[in-house]
Amino acid sequence: MKTLSEWESKRRLEGLPYPRELLAKSRAEAKAFVVTLGKPVVAKASGVAHKTEGGLVRFNIDAQMIDAVWEELAAAGDGAVLLAEQLQAELELIVGGYRDPGFGPLVTVGIGGIAAEIFSDVAAILAPPEAGEVAAALGQLTGYKLLQGIRGGPPVDVAALAQIVNGVANLLVKDTAVMEIDCNPVLVCQGKPVVVDALIVLSDGDV
Amino acid sequence: MNLGRLFKPKSIAVYGASATDSRKLGNTLLKNAASGAGDVLAIHPEADTIDGVRAIAKLDQPVDLALISVPGGRVEAAVTDAAAAGTGAAIVLSSGFGETGPEGGAKQDRLVAIARAAGMRLVGPNCMGVVSHLGGDCWLNGSYFWRIPGVSGGLSFVSQSGAFGGMFFGHMRASGLGLSRFLSVGNSADVGITDALEWLGDDPQTTAIGMFVEGFGDGRRFVDVARRVTAKKPVIVLKAGKMAAGAKAAASHTGSMVGSHAAVRAGLRRAGVIEASDTESFFDAMDAAASGLRRKIRNIAIVTISGGPSVLAADACERAGLTLPSLSVGTIERLRGLTPSFAALGNPIDLTPQCPADNFIPAIEAIYADPAIEGVVAINCGLDLKPFGTGVARAVAATGKPTAAFVLDAPGVDAEMAKAGVMRFASPERAVSVLAGGLK
Repeated sequence: MKTLSEWESKRRLEGLPYPRELLAKSRAEAKAFVVTLGKPVVAKASGVAHKTEGGLVRFNIDAQMIDAVWEELAAAGDGAVLLAEQLQAELELIVGGYRDPGFGPLVTVGIGGIAAEIFSDVAAILAPPEAGEVAAALGQLTGYKLLQGIRGGPPVDVAALAQIVNGVANLLVKDTAVMEIDCNPVLVCQGKPVVVDALIVLSDGDV
Repeated sequence: MNLGRLFKPKSIAVYGASATDSRKLGNTLLKNAASGAGDVLAIHPEADTIDGVRAIAKLDQPVDLALISVPGGRVEAAVTDAAAAGTGAAIVLSSGFGETGPEGGAKQDRLVAIARAAGMRLVGPNCMGVVSHLGGDCWLNGSYFWRIPGVSGGLSFVSQSGAFGGMFFGHMRASGLGLSRFLSVGNSADVGITDALEWLGDDPQTTAIGMFVEGFGDGRRFVDVARRVTAKKPVIVLKAGKMAAGAKAAASHTGSMVGSHAAVRAGLRRAGVIEASDTESFFDAMDAAASGLRRKIRNIAIVTISGGPSVLAADACERAGLTLPSLSVGTIERLRGLTPSFAALGNPIDLTPQCPADNFIPAIEAIYADPAIEGVVAINCGLDLKPFGTGVARAVAATGKPTAAFVLDAPGVDAEMAKAGVMRFASPERAVSVLAGGLK
């Protein structure tokens, strides 16, 4: 098993909604991106799995703070640093894909975040999903009400979420070397889902 | 997949009955096979007759079905003999094959190769056999089960576990439900659950299919076949081993969060199969299918003369997501004229014990005829006025609306419902959960 970096994974999962982001090769490039964006960013080490657990994700980084985090993040990863627009999210979801020995490729969608790890509130759908199956799977989640709008907020855009699920399904169906896919977290901002991190696991045969 | 010669054989050969010890399993099998219709032969190296059945050393004519219950080392010879004679299907009940490891697996592969080369279907090995209703009072009992239910009906059952087959027959006996076919597939070396499902889907005698499954094999093929079958008749699956292999080492979050059962659930959902979570809900769903439930229903009428139990039923409806709609104005007017002034004509509909006995029939018929009602829970504790049962029986016959009843200490009412095939259950809540069975 071989894992692709977040940046490579996102390139393979074409056309999904991502935050505005940049794989910065230098401090100057990084600072220019933050200035252009005009608000603080998240800075992540590149080419490393389990970044959060490794303390390699830094929040609220403005242009002045790039120097303070650059060296450590660049050294921990492949030398580049991934910068992304920091999002204000009302809900965290998880979308994924995997292969079952009997039922073939499946996609999953569920509630993300720490509570979700405890409750495992995830539903699976045979890939590719048929019309209506994503919405039906969401209806099966224990936390379905969270998707209908929290405290008067907007409901999750189910069609947009289904597009992410379909994007994951398409890659899984098209590329048999792809064994597992994680879009985790998928943050919901004003109802719109955005894939903040992605991971692709390839079988050993694929280069 | 034509399994007609397996389920409806006209001629049977039995391998493995002892000429000297009639307590052997093979002799049970021979007795069972000989108790039904069709020509039955025993295959034995020396004997001329066994337990009154003619015996020959080698099969010298084609038969539809061979039942093989010989010690493991002699199975291959028996399968070869049956295949050479042009047998349609062979069931190997003997054990000691794929279930024991790679060596047994290799022996099993040889059996399949012999059968396939001869165009013979192979069921098992390591199974309990087949039971099938052949019409009228005629049954095929090609199984080790010495007691099979004698009531014919529309339910068929395919099992990867022989022992669960025994539980199924126990339930059929206790509930009085009618059987169409039973097949224990054992190791599924050739004929698997999907093959059996496909044939039963086309079987006009089968109205609903239950399956006990440990593994689906080619899950996508199962989904494709099951989907075509569920368009015609309900399929209910109890999957054992939901946790197995769930702890596989996964590189991704998705891989570690999703248990092995998620794929099964996804497949069954796409196929329109009703998945039972446990034994009790499996039999509830089978009962629901037998009660005429063919689709999800939501709008229930609780018809009663007993207050407390009907409130329990109403609570159970709410828990199960069933609703208790109001009857239409026309129906309520009709009931007003038939029941005492203090009858409760909401829902539950309490006709009250004081309702004139003869009015039960038109009152219950009126409730069933109401278009707002899709199914009925009938409750009668201790008021043994036969017309209450007659009303339910007639209304079910007229409307076909799924019905589940709770009847206590009212043998006349119970008998009327039984005659009409209305299922009665041990508690009001069970009656409700049966009607809710199709919703899961």
